Amino acid sequence: MNNPQEPRLTPIDEWEDEATAMLDGVDYDTDLGLRMARDAIRVSNGELSDAEFHEKYHEEVLAEFGEDERPTKPEGFDDD
Amino acid sequence: MTNYGLVIDQERCIGCQACAVSCKQENNVPMGQFWNRVLTEGGDKIDTPSGGYPEDGGSGSLDMQYQPTACQHCENAPCVKVCPVNATYTRDDGIVEIDYDKCIGCRYCMAACPYNARVFNWDEPDHMPEEGTGDVAARPQGVVEKCTFCSHRVDEGLDPACVVNCPADARIFGDLDDEGSTVSKYINEYETDQLLEDRGTNPKTHYISGEMSPGRPQTSDKMESELDDVSPWSDGSEDVPAEASESDSSGSGGSHHSIEGDAAPHVPAVGSGGDD
Repeated sequence: MNNPQEPRLTPIDEWEDEATAMLDGVDYDTDLGLRMARDAIRVSNGELSDAEFHEKYHEEVLAEFGEDERPTKPEGFDDD
Repeated sequence: MTNYGLVIDQERCIGCQACAVSCKQENNVPMGQFWNRVLTEGGDKIDTPSGGYPEDGGSGSLDMQYQPTACQHCENAPCVKVCPVNATYTRDDGIVEIDYDKCIGCRYCMAACPYNARVFNWDEPDHMPEEGTGDVAARPQGVVEKCTFCSHRVDEGLDPACVVNCPADARIFGDLDDEGSTVSKYINEYETDQLLEDRGTNPKTHYISGEMSPGRPQTSDKMESELDDVSPWSDGSEDVPAEASESDSSGSGGSHHSIEGDAAPHVPAVGSGGDD
């Protein structure tokens, strides 16, 4: 990852393999990280709103990390 | 409101790696890690052109372009959105930064970054010399780190190390929200691109390619906003801070002007060049 000998940025169609490799061996849920990464790009693209993104993963993030401090929390969102 | 950004003129970039090395030194980046890389567009390997040498009197087709790459400090940063503990956050001035005390090393941010700009400290960071380099404390094992636009320097009114140490004047740093800033003028004047624009991240790093910009006379390592008159469109004769003309009579190669308030220059007052 971030290999200075890598000549170019990872092509879009190879990104998922690279992201999977980055998360390999992590102490947390690899699949959740991959799904959230994919959807975070969709948020950037405008395909998904911050609020939708937050709500979609809130329960899983809470279960995995015991907290959800992401800045995407919509106003008035009930953490419980 | 201030919104810091960077312009990199790829036509001026000579691929010397000074930005990568000065970043590494200034920010105490561990051995084997790079926050700032100079990629190449051309052949299949780094620093390798595509095409071929001239043959039989032909002109040849060798082609290569440098692609300096680091954290793009995206407006819509996916890394910020996925961080479950809010360790990665966007400062009020637009710089995306990591709170290393909060980072739990889940690496979700690395997976979400389309620019592969982040590195993870798998082991206890190794520095050479052991006590480290530059003006930033070492980060511990198990956290993610990346370019900060040298926020410790920016907070003192200094340009990032990669900007100051670029011998080709290929890098310009400043306030994107200030229409009169040099970065804004470059973006307005030249055709600029952002990396992976289709992903909607709206990076604050803009690249000039196709037409070489005039560059900017490097009159000081202070940020442009702190200088009285720096204009890339002038012949440079007026690009001298007011204090410099009054106080700089030593002719030394270090800081060219006095520093006000608590701001401290990162260059020696006496002695030639160098940032550390």
